Amino acid sequence: MIRIFSLFVLLWLANATVLLAQKTFPVNGAANPQPSVTAFIHAVVHLDASTTYDDASLLIKEGRIIAAGPGLKIPEGARIIDLKGKHLYPSLIDLYADYGVPGPPKKKKGQGRSVQLNSSTEGAFGWNQAIRPQVSASDVFRVDPKKAGQLRKMGFGTVLTHVRDGIMRGTGTLVTLSERNENYVMLGAAVTSHYSFRKGSSQQRYPSSEMGSIALLRQTFLDAEWYTRHQPREEYNLSLAAYLNQQELPAIFEVPDYHSALRADKLGDAYGKQFILKGKGDEYKRIASILATEATYIIPLTFPKPYDIEDPFTAMWVPLEDMKHWELAPANAALLAEAGVPFVLTSDGLKSEKEFWKNLRKAHLHGLSDSLALEALTMGPARILGMEAELGSLAPGKWANFLITSKPLFDSRCQIYENWVQGKRHTIKELNRPQILGEYDLNIDAKVYDLTVKGSADKPKGELKIPGEKEALKVTVQSKGDLITLVIPFDSAAGGTLRLSGKISYNGGLWDGQAQQPDDNWVLWSAILDESLPEKPARQPKTPELGVTWMPNVAYGSPDTLKPERVLIRNATLWTNTDAGILNNTDLLIESGKIARIGTGLAVEGEYREYDAQGKHLTPGIIDEHSHIAIHRGVNEGSHAVTAEVSIGDVVNSDDVNLYRQLSGGVTAAQLLHGSANPIGGRSALIKFRWGQPADSMLIDDAAGFIKFALGENVKQSNWGIARPTRFPQTRMGVEQVYYDAFIRASEYDEAWKTYQSLKKKEKENTLPPRENLQLQYLAEILNSERFISCHSYVQSEINMLMHVADSMGFRVNTFTHILEGYKVADKMVEHGAGGSTFSDWWAYKFEVNDAIPYNAAMLNDQGVVTAINSDDAEMGRRLNQEAAKTVKYGGASEEDALKMVTLNPAKLLHLDHRMGSLAVGMDADIVIWTDHPLSIYARAEQTYIDGILFFSLDRDTALRVAMQAERQRLIEKMLAAKKAGEKTQPLQVKEPKLYHCDTLEDQHETDHSH
Amino acid sequence: MKQIIAISLVVLGAFTAWGQVPTPGASQSKKILMLGGIAHLGNGAVIQNSAIAFENGKLTIVGDATTMRLDIAYFDEVIKIQGKHVYPGLLAPNSRLGLFEIGAVKATLDQDEIGPMLPHVRSIIAYNTDSKIIPTVRTNGVLLAEIAPKGGVISGSSSVVHLDAWNWEDAAVATEVGIHLRWPDLLKRTGWWAEPGKVVKNDSNLAQVKRIREFFARAKAYCDLPVPAPTNLRYEAMRGVFEGQQTLFVHTNYAREIVQAVNLKREYEIPKMAIVGGYDAYLLTQLLKENKVAVVLGRLHRLPLRPEDDVDLPYKLPGLLLKDSITVCLDYAGDMEVMGTRNLPFLAGTAAAYGLDREKALQLITLNPARIMGIDHLVGSLAVGKNATLFVSEGDALDMRTNAVTMAYIDGRALDLSNHQEALYEKFKAKYEAADQ
Repeated sequence: MIRIFSLFVLLWLANATVLLAQKTFPVNGAANPQPSVTAFIHAVVHLDASTTYDDASLLIKEGRIIAAGPGLKIPEGARIIDLKGKHLYPSLIDLYADYGVPGPPKKKKGQGRSVQLNSSTEGAFGWNQAIRPQVSASDVFRVDPKKAGQLRKMGFGTVLTHVRDGIMRGTGTLVTLSERNENYVMLGAAVTSHYSFRKGSSQQRYPSSEMGSIALLRQTFLDAEWYTRHQPREEYNLSLAAYLNQQELPAIFEVPDYHSALRADKLGDAYGKQFILKGKGDEYKRIASILATEATYIIPLTFPKPYDIEDPFTAMWVPLEDMKHWELAPANAALLAEAGVPFVLTSDGLKSEKEFWKNLRKAHLHGLSDSLALEALTMGPARILGMEAELGSLAPGKWANFLITSKPLFDSRCQIYENWVQGKRHTIKELNRPQILGEYDLNIDAKVYDLTVKGSADKPKGELKIPGEKEALKVTVQSKGDLITLVIPFDSAAGGTLRLSGKISYNGGLWDGQAQQPDDNWVLWSAILDESLPEKPARQPKTPELGVTWMPNVAYGSPDTLKPERVLIRNATLWTNTDAGILNNTDLLIESGKIARIGTGLAVEGEYREYDAQGKHLTPGIIDEHSHIAIHRGVNEGSHAVTAEVSIGDVVNSDDVNLYRQLSGGVTAAQLLHGSANPIGGRSALIKFRWGQPADSMLIDDAAGFIKFALGENVKQSNWGIARPTRFPQTRMGVEQVYYDAFIRASEYDEAWKTYQSLKKKEKENTLPPRENLQLQYLAEILNSERFISCHSYVQSEINMLMHVADSMGFRVNTFTHILEGYKVADKMVEHGAGGSTFSDWWAYKFEVNDAIPYNAAMLNDQGVVTAINSDDAEMGRRLNQEAAKTVKYGGASEEDALKMVTLNPAKLLHLDHRMGSLAVGMDADIVIWTDHPLSIYARAEQTYIDGILFFSLDRDTALRVAMQAERQRLIEKMLAAKKAGEKTQPLQVKEPKLYHCDTLEDQHETDHSH
Repeated sequence: MKQIIAISLVVLGAFTAWGQVPTPGASQSKKILMLGGIAHLGNGAVIQNSAIAFENGKLTIVGDATTMRLDIAYFDEVIKIQGKHVYPGLLAPNSRLGLFEIGAVKATLDQDEIGPMLPHVRSIIAYNTDSKIIPTVRTNGVLLAEIAPKGGVISGSSSVVHLDAWNWEDAAVATEVGIHLRWPDLLKRTGWWAEPGKVVKNDSNLAQVKRIREFFARAKAYCDLPVPAPTNLRYEAMRGVFEGQQTLFVHTNYAREIVQAVNLKREYEIPKMAIVGGYDAYLLTQLLKENKVAVVLGRLHRLPLRPEDDVDLPYKLPGLLLKDSITVCLDYAGDMEVMGTRNLPFLAGTAAAYGLDREKALQLITLNPARIMGIDHLVGSLAVGKNATLFVSEGDALDMRTNAVTMAYIDGRALDLSNHQEALYEKFKAKYEAADQ
């Protein structure tokens, strides 16, 4: 605490001294004080986003505003700038700039396939190279006049800048866009801390996935906590020390999309932090969840361009998701405002002032109000930084950072003339540029012509009418300040080309000067304004008509929210998976998400929907014990041999269309597993396929904890193509020792905590708790039967080995998954109490599956192993009933047993059988109605219910297809119209959906591994 | 009774030789008559109470036992298969069977040759009759396969084999039936399979297509020479494509690429062409019909290529193509393609589940591929004069629920339907049974 307090004093002092910094510098020559007031008068003063005065003044002195408003007394000796008809705005503030700091170093080209296990940062810093809280943007900040000029052109006066590199990125510094030295422009040295999920320039292998980044942040938060307490010091860690010094700063977290925004916020919630989220501009897609984060957002104004979709075959490649986003991205800010989500805006991602203003006005056109937009670029950001007394409006005492514009900012014709920063003028366009457009009487050597100057002030076009001639002469007109040059191409009969040079007076009312004829004869000329051309009216683009956001905003999404129904299904063949067996001609009532009644000829009171399932089969929903769909940015954190700290539950992708596709195959729940790259992988997510709902609503609330283990070729990296492997283990022998080591450490850890927890209150106060280690904590849960293993396995020797490890360490292997040689050790599995979840007929893809046989499942089942058939494959996941049918064909399982292998048995393996996997009163209404015998290839899932909600039906599917086609056509028309209207388009670029198997190895930051 | 004993002897034989690839069946010496089976002829027709006879490896009778006069005594062996189903041997096109053993072990893979233009490369000579995978595929009724290489742009020639042979010469049904050409995509996938990047325009498509055209132009000119000298192996290997003895198999899934391929056919007057993959072919049926281009549809058990596609679009593709009279067959190419070939019948079953008549669906893996390979005079349906390559299943072979192949013949030779997987099953079953006693 003391440390933090003193830091704050320092920060405060730093802020105070910065103002005076210049004063400490010796002066060469005479001092140059500026005691005068500058007064801007007769302007429309926009004091802040909600206060505007017509014909008011602004007074500034020594870089600061001293007064603003109407009826101000102008002090004597003030320098007066008349801004009649012009507007004054506080200049804009951008919280997400990388101004004046170096970008991340370019990655070195991969050196073969060696893997960097350790950090390459030198010094007493933390173990992970992507954790860089020790980086201070203020240390590396240098004024960059060129970049400052670009940002000032956009209208910015102050920016927050930080080094965009790593997961913890250190502190951001607040600077103005003045070109004076760093001491003067820096308004705050360390005003924010910065985070992301991307490891940036770090080539250290860990973390290689988004869930890895999340886990790394968690552990770092805990380590920092420990670091404040542990005595005597066991290590000195400058990274943790730096992080601890940033606790009170606003923390800004950059995320690549709304999914990660929700993840970052959830992470913050767990550790008492409220991050400010720098989003991607797609927050409207899940606005209710976004609002619930209670975070403030920094929203970019980058909008996708329309696609080239002229060719209908090519257009088929543009996903509806991208089309819808193209339409709705400009409305993001307005939709956030409407929902009440607090946000500020950033120019991040936009290259030019033209693009910035075009997009800002586009957002405005899409419903973002003037005042909210201005607020989001002025006081909003100032408040986030606690700098509202210094910046963000034209209130007295603040920095004199303001804009002089021709019109209100959101008028498409608005021109920024000047951007004053800390009381210094930066001209963007000449303020009092004489107006030169209009009709003139041009008098040359006593002859009078009609001259019309059209076009724009930058590109004027002159036309000269000669009496008696039909065609007007094209006259070159150039003006610079108050000088003007004309070139008139008279033909030789009229004396040849005449070049005129003169000055402009009376704000364009009169031009006069001398002209030189080809024969070097000089004549006098003048032009008197006859009539100014009327100002072009502002273009009033029509408020666009927008489609609605779908849940999810992708193919097969829908604007409808599905509700649980009361449904009576009549006359079906029920596969109960209970002692009741198969019931013919039976009714089933769904009520409040549960199976309420089962019987023949049920008499039901009240309102309900009746469905006649005569000739159809009813089964419990299919449960996939082993799935990798709906996972974002890495299914494997394969960088370390043990990664129990990561969790798939952190990275569930609610928008994966494969969820819907599998609903069409009767799948209602699945275990989303970590991959098989390491002996101890990450924790699982058990989800129900509640398509349309956010990821957190898909997680099964009371599900037990599961974790992925893996054995064999994948974990020993046999097929990774690494020339020089570094990661232990490389053999099955090594794998065993990884387990022993991990569990012995976990057991000691658990013991240490148990000892600590059992201390009496007083003793506890005098004892330091052990360091919290997430990895060991989750492993200890296994030892305490609070977490359960699903272990990827093939060969009998290793299966046997793990059971030995488990027996000797006192835990049980819940499930062997894949388990293709399970049939060789079924007796041992029964003895140990392990279940098996296997493929129906896969083999021969690796050496270790050469003895795999399709009879495996039936044999395991026969021997009394709880046996499931799983997919591990997004496509096969929707035909699991057919895969189950193969256990009848290969090995002669009974049909009821076969169906259990994809319903009840996976429910048992996942400890969900108390609510799923069978048709009985009180069970979750997760039900499939099949058109045919459910084990037959001719059967189609006609209706799929989860918790009594009809998430899929063939009828609804048809309706969704029609709606999707209509939406597509509407958007194609709109895109074609946009292109016709001159919008720049982008060539086709489509995301290829990620399909994971458990072998999938990758680095979300760099792709350098193969299977 | 006799025949049943014979069959169980065959099965028993397998256990004694577990771990081995079963011995190829001996040449047909007996005249065999199968009576009473539900015969699915492979040409769309079905006979509920059939009489099927074969001798010397050829079918001699295919008819309706109810109306046919049969001299039972003429036959050495009469097999009664009432209520069972009999089918022509299924044909897996575009297969790597025998070229592939264990995916992760490079030394066991012989499918990818190096270089872009390889029409002279012949798959047949690398076909390993002793692959452990082959017997597991026959077990479900797949008795024939077109073995196609997959390297380069022009991968080489494919040959059709039957799946019971001592060596590749024995196995060959018809050699070099087609040349396989992999069409460059207009849209290029970046990244790799597990970390796919964005799909971007392949700007070099036109240049690549130009190279293919250039190759075809030179090859055609070469083949038009009265006596080409010196010999160019590559061009020589293209002769059959220009002359129509070989089918040009063009691998692509996408609409505009299919249009480009059809243009190639027109430009070089290639008599026989088939699109392999052909996901988008349903959008171009008019063009394909006019140009007599067949389609070898890529594995139906795949995800829709685009998120908006009907979730069941892959399943419906055969129906959509047949509706417009395109000749279609089904392959099993893709992940786990070799070991998965045993699931070929279930692809046809899927087509039937999604709108196709079951006999028409069967045709997709029997007569249609035989036609596309130009070998329908030999195999592909149960018809007098064709090879006696057929199998009997206890139930509907297109449904995994009922597919149970109990007898199979190739050229009239009875197959030993065991495989090492079954042997491993028996071995460990015996272990557990012994423990239970």
